Amino acid sequence: MIRRVALSVVIGFAAVAALPAAAAAASYVADPAASHLDFTGVQAGAEFKGTFRKFTAAVDFAPDALASAHFDVQIDLNSIDSKDNDRDKTIRGPDIFDVAHFPTAHYVTRSFTKTATGYTAMGALTLHGVTKDVPINFQFVAAPATAKLEGTASLKRLDFGVGQGDWKSTEWIADAVKVSFSLSLKPKP
Amino acid sequence: MPNGASATRYSPVAQLLHWVIAALIVTQFALAWTADDLPLGVHKLALLARHKSFGMTVLMLAVVRLLWRWRNPPPELPAGMKPIERRLAKATHVAFYFLLFAMPLTGWMMSSAKNYSVSWFGLFTWPNLISQSDGAFIFLRGTHEVLSDALFAIAVLHILAALKHHFWNKDDVFVRMLPFTKSEKRP
Repeated sequence: MIRRVALSVVIGFAAVAALPAAAAAASYVADPAASHLDFTGVQAGAEFKGTFRKFTAAVDFAPDALASAHFDVQIDLNSIDSKDNDRDKTIRGPDIFDVAHFPTAHYVTRSFTKTATGYTAMGALTLHGVTKDVPINFQFVAAPATAKLEGTASLKRLDFGVGQGDWKSTEWIADAVKVSFSLSLKPKP
Repeated sequence: MPNGASATRYSPVAQLLHWVIAALIVTQFALAWTADDLPLGVHKLALLARHKSFGMTVLMLAVVRLLWRWRNPPPELPAGMKPIERRLAKATHVAFYFLLFAMPLTGWMMSSAKNYSVSWFGLFTWPNLISQSDGAFIFLRGTHEVLSDALFAIAVLHILAALKHHFWNKDDVFVRMLPFTKSEKRP
């Protein structure tokens, strides 16, 4: 009896000791050719979709190692493409993104939780010189050496001061903006 | 005669459709001309959003109007009109019906080509008719403008003709489209 208890304790300690080693997140970067970062805004009551052509994402993630997971995403705001040059120019301009002063947006995660359908990351988004928490919901599908990361977030543009002057009004441009992404991850070189 | 139509007057429904669409078209020109002079901004977006909502309203009313006209044929033209006048009147009305559809449809396609989907007063969004394309947008904008010039010209002709009928010919062609009147001036 005592031997069996002792054995269990030893095995238990061994398992606990082994855990951190097993639970290290794998490090990836997004493959730019196969990844996209999109957004959907509402303008005059109708949705319009756009994308950011240039961004980098460093992703440390493993489903069994949420404590050591970490995302770091840099978005080149100049690379916005809403399929209309006039609109893109206006968004880059001083009253909206003001890319002359704030050329990039930056998202860094702080913590991760498992949900019924995937995971939620809590992180801070720095956009237009303002840093605010924005949660993202995502699914992670690992394949040998690579992985797929797909998810969504929603934010309020005015939280970040995106929209000055006339553009502060939400009558014709909605405050809420939806973000979606699909990242094709490859091992960090 | 059913639905309040008579041999000499338009039905109240036809009169209502005529005057509501006429008022919408006047508004459309005012909105388009004002928006044209503005840089891309909230004010321009707001004007064009209304322009699109009114335009889609015209398109829906045009469908109703054509169906109503099919079920309730309009009154005959006065017997004294010359064949050339009849042909001109017929051509003007055919052109109006063509433009009642062509103006909103080219506008809707323009918006689709520029990836600015058309909302109807923020209540719902119409699907894009074509996919985004700079070339298609430029072509459609040109078409929409040429058609709007044609619409303006035909509307001027239409108004002058109505006034000529009323004051020169002294027949009931104008009055029979006027609500709350009686057609008594028929020669």
